[in-house]
Amino acid sequence: MTQNLDLTDIQGNIVKAYGSFGFFKARYLFLRVDNGDKGRDFVARITSKVTSAERWSKSSAPSVTTNMAFTYSGLEALELPTASLIGFPEDFVMGMSKRKVILGDDGPSDPEHWDKIWQEESVHIWISINGKSIEDVEERYQWVSKQIDATGGVSLLKGHRGEDAFGNPSDDLPYQDASILYDENGMPSSKEHFGYTDGIGDPVFEGQTNNEKRVIGRGKLTSEGEWVPLATGEFILGHLDEAMEYPHTAPRPDLLSNNATYMVYRKLHQNVGTFNKFLDEQSKVFPGGKELLAAKFSGRWRDNGAPLVHTPDEASKADWDKKFAAADVPTQKKMLTDFTYNEDIEGAKCPVSAHIRRINPRGSLEYGVKGAFNTPGALVDRRRILRRGLPYGKAKDQTSDDGNHGIIFMVLNADINRQFEFVQQQWINYANDFKLGNDKDVLLGNHSAKCPGKVVFEVEPGSGKPPHFVKNIPRLVETRGGDYFFIPSITALKMIAGGIIDPT
Amino acid sequence: MSNIAGKAYAMNVITPIPWYKAWLNWLIFKAALLVPNVLNGLLTLSLIHYARWVIIPKGKFPHLDSSQPKEELKYSYMLFFSNFNGSWDQYVDSFTFAIPSGLDLFWKMNVRYPKSVPLTPFHNYIQHNQIDTSHYYNAYPMAASNDVKSAKNVKKALIDFNAASSNKDPDEFLKDYNNLLNNLQHDFGEMSHTPIVSLAALAVKMRHAGAHEKSHNHLR
Amino acid sequence: MRFMDTLNIFLKPNSSGNATALTTLCPIMNRVVDGESSVDITRERCLRLPIHEESPLAKVPNTYLARLFILDNVFYESLPGGDSVFNFSEITSIFSDKARLGALPQKDQLKSKYLVFSSNFHGDLDAYLRGMWDKWSYDDNGQQRDVRYIWENCVAFDGVTDSSSFISYMKRCQLNSALFFNGSTDDSLQEQLKALYLKQEFSKFAAANQGKSAADLQEAYKAFIDQVQPSNLSGPSWVPGQCEP
Ligand code: HEM
Repeated sequence: MTQNLDLTDIQGNIVKAYGSFGFFKARYLFLRVDNGDKGRDFVARITSKVTSAERWSKSSAPSVTTNMAFTYSGLEALELPTASLIGFPEDFVMGMSKRKVILGDDGPSDPEHWDKIWQEESVHIWISINGKSIEDVEERYQWVSKQIDATGGVSLLKGHRGEDAFGNPSDDLPYQDASILYDENGMPSSKEHFGYTDGIGDPVFEGQTNNEKRVIGRGKLTSEGEWVPLATGEFILGHLDEAMEYPHTAPRPDLLSNNATYMVYRKLHQNVGTFNKFLDEQSKVFPGGKELLAAKFSGRWRDNGAPLVHTPDEASKADWDKKFAAADVPTQKKMLTDFTYNEDIEGAKCPVSAHIRRINPRGSLEYGVKGAFNTPGALVDRRRILRRGLPYGKAKDQTSDDGNHGIIFMVLNADINRQFEFVQQQWINYANDFKLGNDKDVLLGNHSAKCPGKVVFEVEPGSGKPPHFVKNIPRLVETRGGDYFFIPSITALKMIAGGIIDPT
Repeated sequence: MSNIAGKAYAMNVITPIPWYKAWLNWLIFKAALLVPNVLNGLLTLSLIHYARWVIIPKGKFPHLDSSQPKEELKYSYMLFFSNFNGSWDQYVDSFTFAIPSGLDLFWKMNVRYPKSVPLTPFHNYIQHNQIDTSHYYNAYPMAASNDVKSAKNVKKALIDFNAASSNKDPDEFLKDYNNLLNNLQHDFGEMSHTPIVSLAALAVKMRHAGAHEKSHNHLR
Repeated sequence: MRFMDTLNIFLKPNSSGNATALTTLCPIMNRVVDGESSVDITRERCLRLPIHEESPLAKVPNTYLARLFILDNVFYESLPGGDSVFNFSEITSIFSDKARLGALPQKDQLKSKYLVFSSNFHGDLDAYLRGMWDKWSYDDNGQQRDVRYIWENCVAFDGVTDSSSFISYMKRCQLNSALFFNGSTDDSLQEQLKALYLKQEFSKFAAANQGKSAADLQEAYKAFIDQVQPSNLSGPSWVPGQCEP
């Protein structure tokens, strides 16, 4: 790992998934810039508290973080020069709602049904506050509110659906709260609302970590079958990417784009009632039982995230669990991520259609034809995404879809179209790369009553057993809002605030 | 105009090649067909229905009668036609990342060919020399080449099974039927509309509406 | 590789099994009538062809994928040069600017514009071209058009009066493939479409009948086979250009 990153210049949320550092609570604010001068003053004030990617020791870790990003119209409102604006890519300029045909945001996910805040085209600034406790978050939120009042050039936008402080439903909340979920004993968990263990697989790129063990199963696969970190430029502008080029999505001047990245913010509502009902119904006809079926949907077992390729049935799962329980933390992490699909090209263990296999096929797109491509990950290495974000809301009634609960899903990547949009379109809502026609991801596909989803769970070839068909899949996840954001470096934040971005 | 018909994209590329290298290039193409494994990467990529390279030797543009001036060209020309599945970017990137040396082999004699790696000069080269299609027809807009191949599998297996097993005792029938499904387990993908890769407004509408939307008026 | 296959690479450059590639470049007349050039007319007619099932190519038997466009000119390679091959001019141009300019790509100009027709189809070329002549038709705002409507502005096309003169005309405009890559199958189009239909229907059947008892399944299966008629190419199938499931 030769790459040295300028960690004090890069915003912290790019390099760190705060959730795994004990920041269990988050609040996302969206603002409109009403006046360029005052708006820049506001940006300057917030920048003074923006958290960088600097490494933390036990004693230096803060209890709350702050990060900031902008939509394209936000950068216009902050009066960036046209010569800079013109360098942004089409996807970012258009924004998420106008990309709905690509993203498959139709039916209940159509932007016309999104939270009120997304109905107007005036979201300019995103501010995230991540805290170890809700009090930490609240305190920083109060500070931000003060800056809004003091500068007078920006407005906090209302219009999020959720529950207010008294637990009453509202469609006009001034911010989006998010939090990890707690288990029945009130202990922090890494679960999401469907009961899966989340937050395991995330790419590792050059300069991010010095710990080679963390690269296993998370970097990219070489022809020799080893894992190495992905090129930094896949995730941060101004650095070489997997094509050995500087990302093309960088606007001018360099100081505006170096150490920046793009963020996809997506509020995904989870239809928990439908999911539970569907899982119950389907497990009646699935030979392996309910938990195995749930695992086949995602590629990992719900309880502890055990990868299905290594635990294809109850017996192997029990063995794995025993080893896992006895292992130290680094070994546990390795057990969770150290696998490929090469011994399971047919998908008899982990279905080709499982969520994590679709989204990160780990060399299996060579279909076992070793050496067919330049490297086994040739078709995957440029499609990786960093996932950030947390669950929101509580699914109080496990038999109902009503209420507000899901995932605030955030993706960081250097090229929204090439990475996030490609994965969302080609691998979630389509399957030609897996030779499975139009079949969709069970959990995330935009299934509808008119075109209900169907997938096939493969079995051992030659076993004489029929594969298992899962059919009539309903829409389990719905989009409730979101947009595309640019996360500048701290240097660039200061320059934007100072009005001194000058690409000539 | 559209380069897209259902799940297929029509690519046309024309590039100059010095006449004295043209025949060498021709030999390389023939060798690719003769030597096993050269086309392995292309087959594994499995994004192409049909593709072809045509070399027009210097002075060999079709000349039909004396009313047509004879071409006086300094170069020979290479034409590339492809019918591929997916977007332009996906296709060109897949080539660059999966089978760069194969590409270089086919194009390296061409004037100013930049090599397939790094990506941007190659992108620019293809874009510079690409010609849009005016009318593109695809006999199966809902099928990728993967689907056409898989369908052939299904048809044969079903007909064989039908001949061998349809009249067996129910239990024997079921056993054979399960075997059939096992053999075809990767062939059950549903075929439907293509994902939209171009946001050209009218094109989106037309592709959504399918054939029933008349395309006659879109030039007015 | 068998000897005949090897030989066919040279003898039948446009074939891959029974799949055939046709490339024609037909020069368009250099003529302007009432302010409209033959090229403009031809291009507009191509652009306005109806798509999918309604394309005239859907009627031409055995067409897998085909396209029309106009080659207006060749491109000048105003691109940076590669540095991979040693180039003598790189040394000489140090001493003389003339040598440097001489090393730039040369400029070419086409004297005619060409209507390019590129098709991938099943079977024999003569039969295919005869099919084009006989079957090509489409509705153009109430007018029925045949194949001549697209080609009639090409040089010497006035000599084409019947299928055999059409065949020989197209062959005069034909160019051979150096490499024809078949990433699909070489079956007849009817065969391909029937297979696609069966794949789609059998997938639905298999999913719908999962878990049935042997006897029930067999009964349902027989009804299914009666309905889809797997070997009957003129039975239920997809139609050429079908774009709705
Ligand atoms: C409510 C929505 C979603 C749910 C419930 C969900 C669930 C999961 C689960 C349970 C895992 C396995 C745990 C892990 O590896 O971290 C996972 C992994 C993953 N998910 Fe999702 N997911 C959702 C949305 C998405 C979306 C929209 C995308 C991308 C567009 C995505 C991309 C990924 C990726 C990249 C991985 C890691 C795969 C790997 O590297 O092996 N997820 N998800």
